[in-house]
Amino acid sequence: MAFGLRWGGTGVFLATEIRVQFHEWLAIVTGTLTPGALLIFVAILAPELIAVTLIGSLVYSMFLIGQRVLNEAAYIRIDHKLNELYHASPLSPEAYFVGIAGGMLVAYLPPSLFVLAILEILHPLSFVAWLVLAACLLAVWAVSSTIGYVVSTLFKDMKTIWPYSALLTNLFGIVPPVFYPIRFVPTEWRSLVLLLPTSGAAVLVNSVAGLETISGNEAILAAAALAVESVAMFVFGIYWARRMARER
Amino acid sequence: MAVEVNLAAQPQKGHVLAAWGLIGWRWIWRSPAAAIVPLLQPFFFLYFLHLISDPSYFPLQVAGAMIFSTQNIGSWCLSDSAVFRIELRLQDIFVASPHDKVRYLFGVAFSNIIPALPALVALGIILAMVTSVSLTAWLVIVACILIIWVLYSAIGIAVSSRLRSQREVWPVGNLIFTLLGILSPLYYPLSRLPPVWRELAQLLPATYAALLVQGSLGLEPATATSLAIDAGLLILSTAIGLALAWWLYQWRER
Repeated sequence: MAFGLRWGGTGVFLATEIRVQFHEWLAIVTGTLTPGALLIFVAILAPELIAVTLIGSLVYSMFLIGQRVLNEAAYIRIDHKLNELYHASPLSPEAYFVGIAGGMLVAYLPPSLFVLAILEILHPLSFVAWLVLAACLLAVWAVSSTIGYVVSTLFKDMKTIWPYSALLTNLFGIVPPVFYPIRFVPTEWRSLVLLLPTSGAAVLVNSVAGLETISGNEAILAAAALAVESVAMFVFGIYWARRMARER
Repeated sequence: MAVEVNLAAQPQKGHVLAAWGLIGWRWIWRSPAAAIVPLLQPFFFLYFLHLISDPSYFPLQVAGAMIFSTQNIGSWCLSDSAVFRIELRLQDIFVASPHDKVRYLFGVAFSNIIPALPALVALGIILAMVTSVSLTAWLVIVACILIIWVLYSAIGIAVSSRLRSQREVWPVGNLIFTLLGILSPLYYPLSRLPPVWRELAQLLPATYAALLVQGSLGLEPATATSLAIDAGLLILSTAIGLALAWWLYQWRER
């Protein structure tokens, strides 16, 4: 059992988190504000980029789920002080991590579906583009949930966490070409931004959707980096959850 | 056993701003990200806007970022005030102390402008590099920043006094301050907004602050009369906003 994963309680904790999050409708609505603000900036200042920004908004929303995982995990541990109770219960650490990340994914999906509907009206996607979009969004969710969960365990108070949470979402979501096309990035920086999960995902989807052109090698680099990062990070998240449970 | 305390014999005065200033300084000293993030936040937006929009708007966007950063102080005041009351349970001590609610408001606002100052100074330097700024324009910018700082800090603290849980801090703060930031034409001229939105924006103090700053910098066409009207409307809308914040503000539990 040393290396085996225990999934006891996953379903129950997932359902609990979904229910808790759906009660936080205000948080779900306000989660759309930053991408909404950027969409408005683009609609006013550069309307020709709106389809790229809508795809960016979907990717950013997935990354924002990590920020919500960060806040929720910190809230459970610091404010509610429920972690010890969870660790003493039959709920396994992996189930806790997957439950919290999955709960956030389900709860925060409705605004993304709304954005998706607008995208489908303005720039209909092919079947392949849909598949690539779904795969990329899941990969970004896996990476961001892990980052959010791991970061949440590093702090002792809620107030300290917020700046880091804002820093991460800005560094991964606004600076790289998530809301804008990769052609705006200088050539020497293109490989680097393709390695980032958010911009890699956005560029891949934009490329398959016919919104921008990248070379075959760039597509392979972005896809391989995203696949490796998502699997490695999610496995690390599970390892970290088990480690956190062991130490307390 | 209750103990009789002669309150009149206790110290009734203190250095409120200095004490809160120390809290603000200690906070950024102990948590460097708290200093770095407010410094970077306006630049993230500026970077994005610089990429997607006409370069001629850049000076206007830098000036807008100064007002946006000041507006955001309200969000930090909301968060701080909520942490003091809900997590640290310090509100009873504040209420019981000679430190009244106006001093508390200015104290929290003062401690939160400290992390924002480096960003404001950096934006001011960039503004001076990208456009010519007269002494009058600097005075207008500083006055607008001070007005927006007091108003949005008061809104943040007033809203925070109604929150029941830490969980509400992020969504409520984000809703109010992001929405107010988007609605006001801080990063583009008012004329670029659709008609209904333009009318809605004209209800907000930050809109008049932006118009005043843009007009005094010569970035948007403005006459002395229109600037005077904008200044009057800024003061009027700020007074209404402060009255609303005062009404909403719950200093002690009922």
